[in-house]
Amino acid sequence: MPTYKGLLARGVGAGAVSGLLAGLVGVLVVEAPIRAALAVEQARPAEPGAGHGHGELFSRGTQVVGGVLAAVVVGVAVGALFATAYAGSRRWFVSKAPFVRAVSLSAAAFSAAALLPAVKYPANPPGVGAADTVEYRTVLYLGLIAAGLLVAVGASHLASRLGGLTPPVRATAVAAAVLAAVVVLLVAFPETPDVVPSDVPGGVLWEFRLASLAETATLWLGLGVVFGLLVDPATRRAKRVSAV
Amino acid sequence: MTSPAHHLSVPIPKWAYAVALVALSVTWLVLQENGIALGHAAETVHEFFHDGRHALGVPCH
Repeated sequence: MPTYKGLLARGVGAGAVSGLLAGLVGVLVVEAPIRAALAVEQARPAEPGAGHGHGELFSRGTQVVGGVLAAVVVGVAVGALFATAYAGSRRWFVSKAPFVRAVSLSAAAFSAAALLPAVKYPANPPGVGAADTVEYRTVLYLGLIAAGLLVAVGASHLASRLGGLTPPVRATAVAAAVLAAVVVLLVAFPETPDVVPSDVPGGVLWEFRLASLAETATLWLGLGVVFGLLVDPATRRAKRVSAV
Repeated sequence: MTSPAHHLSVPIPKWAYAVALVALSVTWLVLQENGIALGHAAETVHEFFHDGRHALGVPCH
């Protein structure tokens, strides 16, 4: 029987590892479209009052290090939250092994906290996004994440309520309910107020968006896999058997 | 629901809520802080973590 402290330590450790992996994806995959977008931004004529000051406070190199550090710090914080959610989950795939529970929980968290906002409010590279709408866009973004997490919690409640159905029928019913809820959210949430400037090439924009999704997927799914390896007793049992 | 479900849930101590609050605050500071908590110093935080904010899909300007 694991303790909360033990789970928390594993969550923090797994978060640091997955954060570092996500940071590496950032350097190797996301950096190229960021540079391309910065080049577009710097080619614009300077507008008074529009100075965002990229590279003024910090050099590109420092910002790349900051980008990795951001992923590691967020990974650790999200790992602590993930461990708490895992410790408190009474209904989440109760009949499955800890590894499967952890990975599926991280997949649900990724879907709600990264994939859902990426569909409705796709990530934008530097040079896209008006400074005066950032607060409104943040409210929309965080609101959609909160709603997505509620759908995930609701789905696990629904699954345990429908325990009388056969597993395939139950899985179909829960999937249909989740799909319906997600469609309602995507329709109900307002459009982003920003228009992508015409000087940002569509190729750069979408390369960045997909690269960004790769980084968040690495963060969340890496967290679930490493956490799952750390909490599942079967991980060590298998090692002992192979040693004998 | 069968009884194994109750064995799955680990008792969560009260200080866990403090941990969760700290974790949320740190995430906010790295990804969202634009002046609400730190005022002018937020710009330094914003610029340092700028790549991370964009790459992790957070709204930015």
